Order: sequence, then structure tokens, then C-alpha cells
Amino acid sequence: MDILSSAVSALLGGWTLPAALAGVVWGILGGALPGLSPSVAMALLLPLTYGMDPTAALTMLAAVYVGAEYGGSIPAILIRTPGTNAAAATTIDGYELARQGRAGEALGISLMAGFVGGLFGLILLTIATEPMAAVALAFTPPAYCALGILGLSVIASLSGKSLIKGLISGILGLMIATVGTDPVSGVSRFTGGSPDLLGGIRPILVMVGLFAVTEMLSQISTPAWDKASSRDTRLKLPSFKMWKRLWKSQVIGCTIGTFEGLTPGGGGSIAAFLSYNEARRWSSHPEEFGKGSIEGVAAPECANNVVTATALIPMLSFGIPGSNSAAVLLAGFLLHGLIPGPMLFQKAPDVVYGLYGGLFAANILMVLVGLVILTPCIWLVNRPKPYLIAFILAIVVSGVYATDASLSDLWLVLIMGVVGYGMRWLGIPTLPMVLGAVLGFLVESNYRRSLVLARGDHSIFIQDPVSLGLLLAAVALTAYSVWSEFIKPARKLKNA
Amino acid sequence: MMRLAAAAFAVGLALSPAASMAQAKYPVPTVTLATHSSAGGGSDVFLRELVKHVQPIIGANLAVSNITGGSGARAMAELAKSPANGSIFYATTPTYIQTTLLSKPAVGYDQLDPMVIVFFDPTIIYTRTESPHKTFADVVADAKKNVGKQKWGAANPASLERIAFEKLNKITGAKAAIVSHEGGGDLMINVLNGTLDIGVGEVQELRSQIEAKKVRLLAVLGDKRLPELPDLPTAKEQGVDLVVSKFRGLAGPKGVPDDVAKMWEDAVKKALASPAYKDVYSKEALEPVALGREQARAFTAKFADEVKASLTELGVIK
Repeated sequence: MDILSSAVSALLGGWTLPAALAGVVWGILGGALPGLSPSVAMALLLPLTYGMDPTAALTMLAAVYVGAEYGGSIPAILIRTPGTNAAAATTIDGYELARQGRAGEALGISLMAGFVGGLFGLILLTIATEPMAAVALAFTPPAYCALGILGLSVIASLSGKSLIKGLISGILGLMIATVGTDPVSGVSRFTGGSPDLLGGIRPILVMVGLFAVTEMLSQISTPAWDKASSRDTRLKLPSFKMWKRLWKSQVIGCTIGTFEGLTPGGGGSIAAFLSYNEARRWSSHPEEFGKGSIEGVAAPECANNVVTATALIPMLSFGIPGSNSAAVLLAGFLLHGLIPGPMLFQKAPDVVYGLYGGLFAANILMVLVGLVILTPCIWLVNRPKPYLIAFILAIVVSGVYATDASLSDLWLVLIMGVVGYGMRWLGIPTLPMVLGAVLGFLVESNYRRSLVLARGDHSIFIQDPVSLGLLLAAVALTAYSVWSEFIKPARKLKNA
Repeated sequence: MMRLAAAAFAVGLALSPAASMAQAKYPVPTVTLATHSSAGGGSDVFLRELVKHVQPIIGANLAVSNITGGSGARAMAELAKSPANGSIFYATTPTYIQTTLLSKPAVGYDQLDPMVIVFFDPTIIYTRTESPHKTFADVVADAKKNVGKQKWGAANPASLERIAFEKLNKITGAKAAIVSHEGGGDLMINVLNGTLDIGVGEVQELRSQIEAKKVRLLAVLGDKRLPELPDLPTAKEQGVDLVVSKFRGLAGPKGVPDDVAKMWEDAVKKALASPAYKDVYSKEALEPVALGREQARAFTAKFADEVKASLTELGVIK
């Protein structure tokens, strides 16, 4: 009751509501701009919050996170370029739907799925922070390593026609993740002496190159364009009938998103890919996945918005930021003299509950803002292609440059674009590579950390119950995917 | 009112000619204070707080600029090519020395000139409340008895804290496993869930856990106890000579005039003495040192040599 009244009073009085609106709008823009990650969008706003009341300031930052995780799906669907790491899984079916002239439908689904996910996560955050925090504490280095491996096991089902090509792609991604400072010894690896590479290659750069630049390159080399008139240009929200089809994928997204949010490190990307994979397995129309499935949009988008709320649990209860975005929010707390951690709920409950209220408002505002801006977005990508391609490249380049004002980042993106073009030409899927680049560091650093702990004894991965469970799940997932993707179809072919 | 203030000012001037001599006009109207940390990061917060208290004393506009990327390499390069007239300084931390040693960028710490060192950040060894070890001496005794059994965690692989634990291993012969992490938060989880025996970190990272009595502080790695935590003995008092000195200061391009450096030294000293600033930094358990230019140069050179020797010994650099 206390929570409710604090939340309501925070919403009605003062600047919380306008702050949430400003945050959501900025977040959607930042998320939609490929190359600008949610954390950067948040960090850019941070100096503005110095003079604000803490509840409004934190609400604004958290609203940016909510908006950005949703905004990332807009370019993923419309131009096959995830605006954020976590939207990578959405490109698979989202862009396919857009190509079939169903962009409005796909955007409507991702908006509503994100809303459902965001609210679900928020409810958990409000009522179950304490038990959930215990889950976060149960994750030791071996468990994190196993979690990353579980994420990588999805490669088997993202490989398309050839498992070998999928694995090649995945390993390329893992190789990219080894660039930078060695996580255990601190030695510089594959940096060629350049300080720009000390911190490693950020996955978002790999993604922007492999998706946006590659897509533009291959669009340029295709002479004939789809006619713009053949597409629907209006946003379409899911009907009741469609909701009934989507509920299963939403449940999957919510469940997986919850746990991923709690475990710092993996964040939205593992959640999105795992829930895409599970949604496909449990769907009654698995054959549509990869060819424009609405469930393939709903599941990952639901999951990555659940993460926006559950990722706050370890941050608020331990003061431990699980992701870059949570780290910026943590900085926001510190700037206002609030120290997240076990005492926060006793010392500044009004701020915490006010933040919950602000997040609630942010999720609703996200839908309203989405309704307003999505139709113009669709209109925008239906302009003549030469303009569009120039426009997209300009946005991508400026987005990447704006983050760090670094030319080497820009070169990396362009190189990745060419690599992606080559891979497409050779028929090698790019998604496994993205997954490898996102998860490589998590897996490697925790693998080696575990071995330091166990003095080289690998049984630590079996002795840790969480690790054991996740590893078994990974084995089961891989076996199932290989069976259903490659062995079963081959047998069918033989029998026929 | 205006006239009264002016009159008071004039009287003040007449009464203290020496003070008016010292308070010469700062040579440029605006000073950029650059940091490699992004908005909200450690050095960014340090600078913004410093600006609040030093700006009125020094009589110039102080603007914070975040030159992120390359772990300080880009900020150092920017500084080295800036005019040495007191219009730009860089917030120094051990990071800029480590980056120079680790990646040998075109412009390193040795091409900047330390001007003032403002604070030392105290470093603390801690464990979780459930741990059987009550004091740091207990930990050391146990480590010596059970060689090769203990697990210690440090924040980053090339950090001063890791170097300190490697030293501790050498002093005690404990052969403990030293696990490095991706920051203090990561490390704290593994101390809280019992994966590690001890961790090492800064007071402000631990404050909330200290208040909630989830962690037990074992030793401060400094020459003397902290005024904020008078009951916490140093490692030295517990029989192990282990000191980590992390610093926060300012450095400029080479050739900044001595009188500018002196103005900064005086301004920083005066700001550190003000109750308002004292309130803020003592809450974070920062130790005010205000080393002037000569001292800062000597300290930085010695510090860099020590870190270089330690990193070479660890095999991190050749």
C-alpha cells in the first residue's frame, strides 16, 4: 500500500511525468539510431539530471532505457538493422514481415509485446525484489560461463541450411570477442598496439556493420526495387485473434527475460535469442519462423523489455550494475547522493517507489509515443531507395561516430560491413557471428575465472548446481536443434 | 548594498596586501578540465565536485570535458597538443599510467606534467559477514596454514589491487588463487556469495553493504587508519606491510607556467579546507593530500616506476 501511494504521489506531483515522457522519447530515438546504444543515450542525458529532483532524474534515465530497448526494434524491422544489441533477434522475422509488406503489423506487435514485457517485469520488480535478488547472488563464475554457453547453443538453430557454415560464423564472432585486454591476466591481445582496441570491439559495432552496412551494400547491388506502393504504410496493432496466437510466445519471452535480467552480464541479447528459439520450438507454426512469423517478433521484443525492469533488481539491491545501462543509472543514483544497495529501500523508499511509478508511466507513454511516430517511420522507409540508402548510411555513420567521436570505430563498422557482404555472398549466416561476438567475452572470462578458482580442475562446472543445470539445458537444446534442423529433414528426404 | 560590499572589499584589500598579491588574476577566462571517464564515472564525478569548490577561489570558468575512449589515450593525446597556458588540464588517476604501460600509445603519461595531486583513495580488504575470518591477521594465518587453498578477488586484471594481492601472496607464501573481475560490482557478488575468501575495493563501492552489515572490513591498505573508520586497523598493524596508493589529481601539457601551477595548488588547498567540500569527500573516505607541483611530479614518477616493475614481474608487460 505504501508502495502504491508513494508511486502515485510521485506521478501526480512534480516533474516525474514530464521526465518520463522526455526520457521515453529520447530513448526511442536513441534506440532507433543504429550505433547509439541505450547506455550512451542515457549517459548523454546524465548531465541534465544534475539539477533535477532525484525521483524525476532517475525516472528519466530509466525511461530512456525502456524507450531504447523498444526503439531498437524499429530499425530492426524496417531496415534490418538492430538499433540495440538485444534487437538482433527481432531482425530475423521482423524484416521478413516488412519485406512482405507487413511492416505496420510487425511494428504494432513489437510495440505491444514490449509493453506487456515491460509491465510484467515491473510487477516482478515491485513485488519480488528480495527473492529475485537471491537468484542473482546464486550466479558464480562457472554459472555465468554455463549461461553464456546456453546462449551460444542457439547457434545450432540460427544456422539456416548448413550447420558447418553456422559454426564458422559463430567462431568468427568468438574470435572478435578475444580482441582487447585479456580478462584474467591483463595482457593486451590482438590490439596491434592500438589503445582504441584495449577495451575490445563493442558488439554493437559488429552488429551495425554486419546488418546495416551489409544490407545497404547488397541493396545497392540489386538493380530492381520493391515498389513502395505494394506495402502497407500504416501501423497496425494486433487484433484480439492475433493476441490469442501470441500469448505463448509472450509467456516464453517474459519467463526468459526475467532470469536474464537478474544475471548481470548477459542482458537482453541472450534473453532475446533464447526466447526466439523457444518460441519457435513451442509454436504451432514453427515453419513460419525465418519467413515472417509474428511470434518471432513478439517473443524477443517481450523478453528484452522484461529485462529493462528486472535488470534493476541486482542494481537496486546490491548496487551492482548488470549492464552498461544499469551502470549509467547507478551513476545517476550516486550523483544524487543515493547509494543503491540493501539500505536504499530503508533510506530512500520514496525515491525507489517513485521510480517504480515513473517506470509504469514510461511503459504506457512508450505505447502512446509509438502510436504517434511509427506511421511516419514506415512512410520514411518507403521513400525512393537511393535517398533512403544515403539517409540510412548517414544515420549509421553519425550514430557510431557520436558515441565516442572515434574514427577507428567507424572503420571497424565499415570493415564489418564488407565482411558481412562477403559472408552473404558465400551463404554464411551472420547471426551466429553476432551471438559469438556478444557472448564470447562472458563465456571466456568466466570460464577462465572458474579455472583460476578451481586451480585448473574442470569439475567445478559440474559441482556448481546452477552451472550443471544450464549446461545440461545447453546440451539438450543443441541436440534437439541439430536433430530437428538437420537430421530429421535428411531422413525424410531419404524416405521420400 | 553594492557599495557596502565594495567598501568592505577595499578595506579587506588594505588590510591584507599579501593576500592581494597572492590572488593574482588567472591568465585565461575559461579552463577545460578533461577526463577519460564518461559522464557519471569516477573521475567525472571527482571533477564536477572539484569545480564546485575551486571555481570561486580560482576566479576562472571551469568546464568539464569528457574525452572518452582508449582508456585515457585519447585524452592524453588531446592534452599534449593543447596550449600550455593553464587553459586545459587532465584528471589523473592510476589509469593513465597503466594505459601508457600496457598499450604504449603515441602520447603517454610521461608527456604530461603532473600539477597537483588532490586525493588518495583508500583501498580496503573485506569479506562477507558470514566468513569465519574476523580480522586480516586471521586471514593471513589461515592462508599460511592452508597453502594454496584461499581465493582472493581483485577488480581488474591490471589493477593496483591485483598487484597488491600478488605481493601479499609473495609476502605470506599463501599461493592463493587471485581472481580478477570486470569491476568492483562483479567482485562484490563473488565475495557476498562466498566464492571468494576476501576482496579488495574502495569504501564508496562498499558503503551500502557496510551499512547493511553484509560485509566485514578487515584492513585498510594505507599508512594510517582512516578518520571515518577509526576502528579499522591497517594491514601494517596486523603484521603485513601492504600499501596501495591510488591518487586523483590534475596534469597539464608540458610548459605550464609555475605561477599557474602555484595558483592551482593554493586554490586546491583552500578548497580542501572548506567545510562544505570536507563534508563531501570525507563521506567518500577520500584522503586530502594537496601535493604541489614538485611533490606531484616526484610522486607520479615513483608510482609509475613501481607499477611498471610490478606489471613486468606479473608478465603483463615486457
